[in-house]
Amino acid sequence: MEVLDYDVVILGSGIAGLTAAIHASRLGKGNLKIAVVSKLHVMRSHSVAAEGGISGVLYPQANQDSKELHAYDTVKGSDYLADQDAVERLVNGAPDEIKFFDHLGVPWNRREKGMIDQRPFGGMSVPRTAFAADKTGFFMMRSLYDELTSHKDIDIFNEHFATNLIRKGNRIYGIVAFDLSNENVKAFRSKSIVIATGGASRIYSFTTNSYSNTGDGTAMAFRAGLPIKDMEFVQFHPTALIPSGILITEAARGEGGYLKNSEGERFMEKYAKSKMELAPRDIVSRAIISEIKAGRGMRDHESGLYYVYLDLRHLDPEKIDEKLPMIKEITIKMINLDPSKSQIPIRPAAHFTMGGIHTNIDGAVMLDASRPMVGTWAAGECACVSVHGSNRLGSNSLSQCSVWGRIAGRSAADFALKSGNAADSGSFFAAAEEEESDIHKIIDARGSTSPYELRDSLYELMEEHMYVYRNIRGMAIARKGISALRNKFKDIYIEDKGKAFNTNLREAFEIHNLLDIAWIVSEGAFRRHESRGAHVVAEYPKRDDARWLKHTIAIKSAAGIKFSYSKVKITKWQPEERKY
Amino acid sequence: MRASRYTIFAYASMIGVPVLMLILAAATIAGKAAYSGAASILLAIALIVFGISGVVEIFWHGAYPGSQRKIIAGEDIRTRARPVKKYGKEISFVLLRFNSLTKRFDRHTYTTYANDRTTVLGAILDIKDYQDSTISVRCNCRMGICGSCGMVVNGKPVLACETNVLASAKYDTIEVSPMLGHPLLKDMVTDFDDFFERHRSVDPSLYRKDQKEKYAAREEYAQSKAELSKFLPYSYCIMCGLCLDACPVVNSNPNFIGPQALSQVYRYHADSRDQKGKRRLFEADTMDGVWGCEFSGSCSKACPKGVDPASAIQMLKGELMKDIADKK
Repeated sequence: MEVLDYDVVILGSGIAGLTAAIHASRLGKGNLKIAVVSKLHVMRSHSVAAEGGISGVLYPQANQDSKELHAYDTVKGSDYLADQDAVERLVNGAPDEIKFFDHLGVPWNRREKGMIDQRPFGGMSVPRTAFAADKTGFFMMRSLYDELTSHKDIDIFNEHFATNLIRKGNRIYGIVAFDLSNENVKAFRSKSIVIATGGASRIYSFTTNSYSNTGDGTAMAFRAGLPIKDMEFVQFHPTALIPSGILITEAARGEGGYLKNSEGERFMEKYAKSKMELAPRDIVSRAIISEIKAGRGMRDHESGLYYVYLDLRHLDPEKIDEKLPMIKEITIKMINLDPSKSQIPIRPAAHFTMGGIHTNIDGAVMLDASRPMVGTWAAGECACVSVHGSNRLGSNSLSQCSVWGRIAGRSAADFALKSGNAADSGSFFAAAEEEESDIHKIIDARGSTSPYELRDSLYELMEEHMYVYRNIRGMAIARKGISALRNKFKDIYIEDKGKAFNTNLREAFEIHNLLDIAWIVSEGAFRRHESRGAHVVAEYPKRDDARWLKHTIAIKSAAGIKFSYSKVKITKWQPEERKY
Repeated sequence: MRASRYTIFAYASMIGVPVLMLILAAATIAGKAAYSGAASILLAIALIVFGISGVVEIFWHGAYPGSQRKIIAGEDIRTRARPVKKYGKEISFVLLRFNSLTKRFDRHTYTTYANDRTTVLGAILDIKDYQDSTISVRCNCRMGICGSCGMVVNGKPVLACETNVLASAKYDTIEVSPMLGHPLLKDMVTDFDDFFERHRSVDPSLYRKDQKEKYAAREEYAQSKAELSKFLPYSYCIMCGLCLDACPVVNSNPNFIGPQALSQVYRYHADSRDQKGKRRLFEADTMDGVWGCEFSGSCSKACPKGVDPASAIQMLKGELMKDIADKK
């Protein structure tokens, strides 16, 4: 086994990870050895699939906007579960991040006089989402990657799958990963580490997420005994294309698209009169499912999926070409449908993991509910700061990734420069060897269960019981079923015994992670007896601030998961009824 | 087709019409004009009802979108979009799999079902999950934006995730092989290290004279819509490698830097925010740079995102020629 020494290791290569790498390199001025470890090619992370845009108050005067209003919208959107000091940091940092990306070369859509254009988005009071057509995430990723090529102190490890963190006390000393191209195991020892592995919506089968979004970093942190926060809140994006779940951006509604049921009626009028289609995602998703349950949906013949329509036919075709070209490309290529001629069949799909690794406002990973770890940061979707609370507003994720990517990258570099010392080689090597033998155990697994079967059973449980509407009985079935699947995982087999690019092996590890994540989600959801944001329980239809205005903290224990709860930070905005 | 109150008219008239025709014939043969007249009028009415009910049936319950899809209150949870025999067509998938040990191609044939929305990537992953888990493909977003799944499908270099099975099948057969212009790893998976190095070698990032100001990012750089449109098409590159695979020059002279990297030279050169100026041009002014291009145009034909690297290279050549003319 090869041991590689670095000052900063960044695990994950989405917008948060690459932003962290660039800022760490800037701060280190070439004095730091930085590694970006990714299970994909670094420019192919799921961040490329972000479509609509990035939020931030750029022109307070011209748009009649303010940072306060942005913060208020975010807090209200979160159903008051967001930590308000963190939200303030988000809205203060976001505008500079948009300008930073302009300086890296993102081709923003422009207004007259060369200003950056902004569009309306769900739950936002005024247009404040900067965008580059409907490929914003892609352009941000390409700019970051191109910028990365000019930083010679950053080593890129493409297609290295990390299996576990090496933890000793209050420190993560490194990671163990295997090179997909030849299955060589490598241990990365580092002074500081940034985890930026993204979300976990692949625990559902109908999801907008890429195949890679299996919550690897979150699951690794969980297995290392770190606290995981608020995992029961999974965002369902209202408009995902039938039958594949490909994302149809919220910007389609921001630019004027309608949602219609089988009777051709704009049903959002009944659910959110003032905001209509631009209500927050949890509300729109529930509205769609309510319409379908009331018999006003359509059913897709082949996949058996129920759906409603997204209608863009009344939009100017030129506007679609300028602002929504990818939507047009996707619908034509995937289902042979022209959005200016026919309505798009859509339904809600798992989209974003509001919860994640428990971090403080500075992005530092926490040791338990209140004390931070040393030299360990998390950023992006895998982290839970919490700025999104129980429901994220569209376009806040890209700002979150860049704001906390910067914070984490700078903090990690600063730590490595000042006080960082790596683990002594003896104990590190012993821990890494142990992990290597665990990897070989999975490679040699010769049980009787296909990992894909387990994944399909997991999909069924999650789609049936942990969807937009939940109930106690269903969640009880899900948590029991997931425990059984976790047991069955010990009996898997890996059909592919080759060493070159063994995706069968990688997927087995991913499915292992999915099962861990789904376990936390279902157990956490089963315990939260209220309806807040994305978590809605039939038996407890109301938000219960007296008992449940608190974050769920899950820590792995010998017996299972130990749950505790922590306070929500409230600064300016007291909880009130959430109405749109 | 489900029964409706309109269909009852249709069935009634289906029986009524032949009966009335018989009565009409009998009355005509018997020479009873009054009876045959009445039968004719009734027959006409029955035919009109039959016609209307047919029209209603077709337009109200047949061709109208969603008509055969019976809507039930409550939710069906069958959310796996797996093509099944009932709704699919049987397709043979011939995979030319690169064997990393023998360094040869093994030809494997699988049978699967495809409906009119099945993609090549979706079908291969289905085969992988349920028939043969040893198949390796590189994929991620499955929506044509991450650039992972470039491969050759029935002779064409394409992104597997946005290639429709039924539209590209020939005699119900799909043949898939990896991109041969790149070093091979396993099955459909190719090695991209060389490709990324080509990209890196042209310094593809926005250059500013004042580096401090670039990173401090206090104000955005103003850019007009016209300035944006000059480089926008070239910024669509998803680095899938299909253009390099298609380029006849790279395939015979590996020193030629290739269409992807050169298109990115032009992308940054044409960006009004870039301040590297002519230096960027001159770096590409070599025999293995822009002048290596023989303008076969196959890169632009292969590009799944409409980047048109061939035109970018010709633009670079043009700028360089203009520079020489200006000096004279």
